[in-house]
Amino acid sequence: MGNYDIQVYTERCTGCLRCQLACSDLYTKAFNPSTARIQVIMSGGECSILFTEECNECGVCVDHCFHSALQKARREADK
Amino acid sequence: MTAGGFAGSVLYVDLTHGETKKEPLDLALAEKFIGGLGLTVKLAYDTIKPGSDALSPDNPIVLGAGPLVGTNLPSTSRVYVVTKLPTSETIGWCGGGGVNFGYLLKNAGYDHVVIEGRANRPVYLKIIDDEVEICDAGSLWGHGVEQTCEALWDEFGRPTGVISIGQAGENLVPFSMAFIDRLSSLGRGGFGAVMGSKNLKAIMVKGSHGIKVADRKRYKSLSQEFLQTIRDYPYLKEWQDLGLVKSFPIIPKETYERMKKRRVACVSCPIGCKDVVEIPDGDFRGLVKCTSSVINLYTPVTYGFKDYRESIKCMATLDEYGLDMFEFFGIMGLAKALVDNGLISKDRLNTDIIIDSLESMETWAGKICYREGLGHILADGFKGIFMEFGEEAKKYAPPLVKGMHPYAGPGAAVSWDLFGTMELGQVLDPRGPHVGSGGSPTYFARRPLDVFPRHLTRMGVPREAIERVLPGLDSPGQDQELKVGRLLRYSHRWFSILGSLGICARAAINRFYNASLCAEFYEAVTGIKTDLPELSKRVDRVWTLLRMANVREGLDRKAEVLPEKWFEVPGFKNYLTEKPLSRRESEQMVKDYYEEWGWDRETGIPTAHVLQELGLTND
Repeated sequence: MGNYDIQVYTERCTGCLRCQLACSDLYTKAFNPSTARIQVIMSGGECSILFTEECNECGVCVDHCFHSALQKARREADK
Repeated sequence: MTAGGFAGSVLYVDLTHGETKKEPLDLALAEKFIGGLGLTVKLAYDTIKPGSDALSPDNPIVLGAGPLVGTNLPSTSRVYVVTKLPTSETIGWCGGGGVNFGYLLKNAGYDHVVIEGRANRPVYLKIIDDEVEICDAGSLWGHGVEQTCEALWDEFGRPTGVISIGQAGENLVPFSMAFIDRLSSLGRGGFGAVMGSKNLKAIMVKGSHGIKVADRKRYKSLSQEFLQTIRDYPYLKEWQDLGLVKSFPIIPKETYERMKKRRVACVSCPIGCKDVVEIPDGDFRGLVKCTSSVINLYTPVTYGFKDYRESIKCMATLDEYGLDMFEFFGIMGLAKALVDNGLISKDRLNTDIIIDSLESMETWAGKICYREGLGHILADGFKGIFMEFGEEAKKYAPPLVKGMHPYAGPGAAVSWDLFGTMELGQVLDPRGPHVGSGGSPTYFARRPLDVFPRHLTRMGVPREAIERVLPGLDSPGQDQELKVGRLLRYSHRWFSILGSLGICARAAINRFYNASLCAEFYEAVTGIKTDLPELSKRVDRVWTLLRMANVREGLDRKAEVLPEKWFEVPGFKNYLTEKPLSRRESEQMVKDYYEEWGWDRETGIPTAHVLQELGLTND
């Protein structure tokens, strides 16, 4: 379990994939959304956001979201 | 071994022989022409057979995405195509927000794709990393733009980048466009027809390789500071909420809010200017439309539609066919005038031409796309109409530039009357009128002159050139002037910087960039040593080579004369004095533009001296 509880607000997502770019860069040293631990799928006006099993909830995706579609709260135990 | 930022390969596709090959990117060439738009121009220049017909197999499609595309620098998704366009018959750039296509092309391993020849049946190009295949598109042929995307997404899943054409491109309508991921239009002037002439219905791409940057430490430092600047921008939220409605408020905000379903961004863009809207009520309640910007959906309103819901429905039809909205309405306006004045017999109409009627316009869009009856003539654009109905038809036509209907000016969709760089640029861009490129303080009319120097400095205009653009700037008491032609030269340079790197040119984002920072980003990402003077020289090489490509095709001064109708009342006005623009004034602007580039001020042909300085003597 990571440091943060990540909340998702898909209705705010624009599909910019800044979260996936940041995640892949942090963990693979390359910008490669296909390897990101967060996956955003846009389909017409609909959006779904999933996290892979490798996600450790570090929160880097949240830091790069400009639309508050991702938000983080520090877990109780860490406060 | 490749530099950072670049994917490292060029894909060559021969549709005639059904062959593809992957070749390493020539890094020396990439360095000389930067990449993106710049290298696309160079590859096109080397591939195009001079004098070829735009719709012949000899006209290649050269496509590219710049070295910043695929990184997380803000709004670095742009995709460019260079090809000969059928309406203007010039070598033109076509550009669009890359949505998913740009980064996926890079992640598939390609910076550029060069497509030549003509397939003997409808095909689409499939690119999945190293798996490249020319696939049968029989089941897609006849589909609209979005329908084609959806079919490919159903087959290959999301995300998949798709460039597709509709029925207009298939049937070689010279004002057809392609669309990227059914959102970004690509190629006013007939790029859709160029794809159609090759029997190329679509290009789809998926990629799984990452893009690396050369100097991670510097990249991180520069990008963090830059992103914070954007976060601190006081109007950021407003831009994010409204998109282009903020700068172009033709839609009441409450109407926009009612239909807004989702704001959409190209990959890496922190703002987003694309829209998904849903008609909230009326006959078309529930119709969902994805668009490059909601303001485009109001274009029929600017031509007289009374009900915005009908306007959206009309645009949904035009976009699905892949028709250029400006040219369509210009041509329908002319056709109506020819009917009203007896040049077209009413017997030839099964459906009346009523410009503000959804039913009429949708019917005629269909007739044009499928080339039915009179629609077959209208489908060949203004050129086809003049051939059919003779010289007299010209007097009823709107002002035309390089054979096309301008989008801004008297009688156009955007009836701005102050003559700035965007207006002059419709004439002096080789491709003719298209939606504004570059960046210039005149894009927002009546902006006070005292803010110009700051903007020009941001665009990389040298101090001594600022004095030529704004004579009298430092001389109190002297009449202030604005040399629009000279300013346009630097606007085109700024556009070439953004395009070659892969940065979006729209005002909402390019306001945060400056030319020096672009040089720093380029150097950090690629590792290629670059300062502002060097970057400026390289992009001057790009734009000058684009000019040379057109000089080679026979472009001359006559093609860059402003249309007479722009001087009729009410016509354009001087940007500063607001007095009617005179022919003499405009001629001076054109000469100023050429001179500021170092081209011959009478002919517009780059001089031997400039070609030598830019290292283009062997091109």
